Amino acid sequence: MLMQALLIGLVAAFGTLDTALGTSYIQRPIVLGPLVGLVLGDLQTGLIIGANLELLFMGAISVGAYIPPDVITGGVLATAFAISTGSGLEAAYALAMPIGLAALGIKNVFYAILPLILPIADHGAQEGDDGKIKLTYVLLGLFGKTIWTFTLTFFAFFLGSDVVTAALNSVPSFVFDGLGIAAGILPAMGFAMLMRMIVNKKLIPFFVAGFALAAFLNLSVLAVAIFAVVIAIEKLEFLDERPMVARAAVGIDGGDDDDF
Amino acid sequence: MTSKMSDKTLQDAYRGSISKKDLTRMAVNPGALGMEYSWNYPKQMSVPFCLMLNPLLKKIYKDDPKGYSEALQRHLEFFNITMYFAPFVGGVVASMEERVAKGEMAPETINQVKAALMGPLSGIGDSLFLGTLRVIAAAVGISLAVNGNPFGPIAFLLIYNIPTFLTRIIGAHKGYELGVSFLTKAQESGLMDKVIYAAGIIGVMVIGAMTVTMTSVSIPIEFGQGESVQTIQSVLDGILPGTLALVALGLYYWALSHKVSPMVLIVITMVVGVLGAFTGVLA
Repeated sequence: MLMQALLIGLVAAFGTLDTALGTSYIQRPIVLGPLVGLVLGDLQTGLIIGANLELLFMGAISVGAYIPPDVITGGVLATAFAISTGSGLEAAYALAMPIGLAALGIKNVFYAILPLILPIADHGAQEGDDGKIKLTYVLLGLFGKTIWTFTLTFFAFFLGSDVVTAALNSVPSFVFDGLGIAAGILPAMGFAMLMRMIVNKKLIPFFVAGFALAAFLNLSVLAVAIFAVVIAIEKLEFLDERPMVARAAVGIDGGDDDDF
Repeated sequence: MTSKMSDKTLQDAYRGSISKKDLTRMAVNPGALGMEYSWNYPKQMSVPFCLMLNPLLKKIYKDDPKGYSEALQRHLEFFNITMYFAPFVGGVVASMEERVAKGEMAPETINQVKAALMGPLSGIGDSLFLGTLRVIAAAVGISLAVNGNPFGPIAFLLIYNIPTFLTRIIGAHKGYELGVSFLTKAQESGLMDKVIYAAGIIGVMVIGAMTVTMTSVSIPIEFGQGESVQTIQSVLDGILPGTLALVALGLYYWALSHKVSPMVLIVITMVVGVLGAFTGVLA
């Protein structure tokens, strides 16, 4: 049992390395399911449950800033419990999403703390020392993903799902919720840093325009970007027959652009 | 890009410090493949993007430790993209870094161009790879695996990953070549300043939009009675949707301008979040 729990933990930890290996989707249930099956000596059931959970988790991918239920712990533990208790596909279906959501709560806690590691990289950059940036990368991944995923799946499989659920429920919900809220606000800090680098007086109106298009018209970032390209082309007269410099040289020859 | 002039420009380009081999290596180095491993809320893919470029930056700034350090700092700013397009942006950026190193271009232009590229490429990439290719790969894989065929997961991985890796490698080369020929043209025709201004316009508009779409916080407090119950959030949305995101951005900007450390800001944000959830003021 201990050995199996360790191996289940390792399969899940391997899943977290997906994002270090090109987001190649080795973290998906269709891949990890059969691996869990192999570990527990039932490859066939693992394959079948993995394929079915893949369908269940079809919409659970991170697009933009959306953080989906944790597919790795959900997929691995649901498959493992279904095989080890012999309860089959129905049990896997019933367990996968709740486990994935509970794990998301834990993930939020780590994701809220994670940014505190970032200054190591900044110091490294200031000193021209790329070793510290590499260290930051490894620490962010280990603490953000690999370590807690391994620990959680190991203990969950070793102790059984009831114990783990009870332990999670004993944490007041406002802690998870609050760190989730902080996580939702933090991207604004990234944008503020970026703005401090690139914005100048001439560009502020365009920031307002981009913000307003997304806020009032609910336009996607791609839609705003398309408008931005059009504005840039129009504003700078890229498509005019004669380049701007040439025209400036001959002086203003009005034409259709009198209002400009 | 196929005119004879730009072909010649491209040949010249590869005579510089960066070779085709360097770009191929960059497209599959640990940084390029690890865009999401160190993902975090405030800066998202900044660290792996910086590591992806690192080998090229070392070559470009071989005899200029200060320039190298500044370039590293530049690429530790916020970055987010559909990960398979990151090497393309890396290629474009490499062509620009070469000019910055020669003193022909202002460094802040690079982050403007990065901001201008990440929005549109993510929009296209997410629907192309995550929305389409992944679904096709999963459909084939699942249909095999539900019958217990172990080739199912393998088919899934191959169908998905062959195109994504090709996108990375081809993207890195195309990005660099595009960057070189575009910048050379812009310089020859004297439009460089205009091009930089245009990149700035697109960049800040994309950041403005992302401020709304990628930040999420609300005030769910209710007031009024019976039928007329409203939340503060619904009132705010009636005036200016995304107000809170804008306020947060403004506060962070102000605090950062006053040399408050990001570390302190993160801790304050966490405390505000937990207090907000405890009192029910924020959601």
